[in-house]
Amino acid sequence: MSLPRLKSVKKIWQEMTNFGRIGLLILLLLIFMALAASHLTWHPHNVSSGPPLAPPGKAHLLGTDELGVDLWAQICYGARVSLIVGLGTALMAGAGGGIVGTFAAYRGGVIDRLLMRLIDIMLVMPSLPVMIVLAAFMGSNIRNIILVLVLFSWSHPARIMRAQVLSLKEQGYIKMARVYGGSDLYIIFRHLLPELFPIVAVSMIRLASMAIVAESSLAFLGLGDPTSRSWGLIINHALNFSGIYFTPFWQWWLFYPWLFLTLLVISLAFLGRDLERIADPRMAKGL
Amino acid sequence: MTIFEYFITLMIILTINFFLPRLMPGDPFLHLSGEAGLEFVTFTAEQREYFIAHYGLDRPMSEQYFRYLSGLLRGDLGFSYYYKADVAAIILSRIPWTLLMVTAATFFSLLLGIFLGSFSAWRREAWQDKVTYLLIVIFSEIPVFLLGIMLLIVFAAGLGLFPLSGAITPFSGYTGFALTKDILHHAMLPVIALSLTRAGGIYLLVRNSLTTILAKDYMRTARAKGLSEGRIRYRHALKNAMLPLVTRVTMQLGGMVGGVVLVENIFAYPGLGRLMQEAVFVRDYPLLQGIFLVLAFSVLTANLLADLLYRFLDPRIREI
Repeated sequence: MSLPRLKSVKKIWQEMTNFGRIGLLILLLLIFMALAASHLTWHPHNVSSGPPLAPPGKAHLLGTDELGVDLWAQICYGARVSLIVGLGTALMAGAGGGIVGTFAAYRGGVIDRLLMRLIDIMLVMPSLPVMIVLAAFMGSNIRNIILVLVLFSWSHPARIMRAQVLSLKEQGYIKMARVYGGSDLYIIFRHLLPELFPIVAVSMIRLASMAIVAESSLAFLGLGDPTSRSWGLIINHALNFSGIYFTPFWQWWLFYPWLFLTLLVISLAFLGRDLERIADPRMAKGL
Repeated sequence: MTIFEYFITLMIILTINFFLPRLMPGDPFLHLSGEAGLEFVTFTAEQREYFIAHYGLDRPMSEQYFRYLSGLLRGDLGFSYYYKADVAAIILSRIPWTLLMVTAATFFSLLLGIFLGSFSAWRREAWQDKVTYLLIVIFSEIPVFLLGIMLLIVFAAGLGLFPLSGAITPFSGYTGFALTKDILHHAMLPVIALSLTRAGGIYLLVRNSLTTILAKDYMRTARAKGLSEGRIRYRHALKNAMLPLVTRVTMQLGGMVGGVVLVENIFAYPGLGRLMQEAVFVRDYPLLQGIFLVLAFSVLTANLLADLLYRFLDPRIREI
């Protein structure tokens, strides 16, 4: 794909602020942690490997939890959960929402009006309580959690794409393509989607961030996937340990998952802000 | 949104609520297997009978749906087997705490957002503006439950300035002024966490709209008339920036309710959010659904009222 609007990586790096660059580096580091989790850890992440509640030290880099499970291993493997949830939701919601928004704007009429109403409805729904109820009834495994998150995040890319397509479809070359007999599908996939890809790609960063926060919030409330320990679930277990604040345990058991989650969310936010500004200066202004 | 659309939204929520327990695979009440960290819940035959009778699972679907709706109209939200009480009564007893959280957090996030937003706008591009902007952006990007945990660790566990959990000191016997002080003391950290994360959106809105307003002709006119700087800022500029705030605050309300649910759980605050988590924990489905309905209904009602208020405040859109 040779697209005029896709800038080279080097050029994007040059246009980024220092905050965005730091965010990108931290993000890459965390992705590396998730991918290489099995090489970076020397204790199992799911069974006990030492004394319970050991403080950080030589044997256990970040200490252990109440069952003696190594915390560093849990955090490395937990990064995978965040990564899968973020990436899965962003891709599905971004692609789905983007296509829905494009079709609605391109076709117009009843479909478009129905879609806009649906988006309005999604906007006023209190998303976390709905997610809690859905996860509680459907069972909280990773697949269900991603599905619920997609259900609540497609409307954002759909709205962005709709606005973009509405302005784009009045352009001369699109009209020309139609005059020459280009079908709707041809125009959408050949002209509109490639042109708008960068904008959706950037909005996916925000979706990923939202999904990661939502997953850890649900896990924190006890609705995480029990088979794959996410950072939110570690926090949940630590907070449910009665009287944890009267002990020194929170200094590692609660602190480290908190630190990694905060780092991840903030670096995603800075990166997202920067790329939004680079991809579409008009959009950044409205923020 | 029109009243009709609010009605449709409400019906969608009610319908989701109706179908969820009925769409669970197999027999919903035998299927509730416990998960790691959760208490294992088995239902006795008596409980099962109650549930089947309550949901009317042996009747045709359309009749169940109708019965469900008419039950709601009578304020019947079901019976919580775990607490052995009416769901509506349990919810009513917890609502005041959540209301306190929501109103206090809305008030303080507005205050903070308006104050810092106008501060930034009047010093646009100066270092004060840049520092404020950066701080607010960082705070509003941290998820509320992470910020809440941070406040709890630093100010309650570390420095011991605030209580660790709850809404009042148990068995203290406080009355009158001492009781009020105790309640405020307990509410402080959760409200700060909520206000800080919610102030960001308001801040950006005030900052942006004030910047546009300050460039308008009537601001120059006001200056030319020789009005004092304070009068220009507060009477002319800020007043015109207030209108979009009404929409913003209510649009944020759904997110605010989500935030309250999380914050109440961090601070073990006895409101609806805490109750919701307890209901999840013991798999008390009627209670869970009741709380969900009350929260969703309140958010919708508040949005509707704000829409009406906006139409009243801004005559330009009254015709639409």
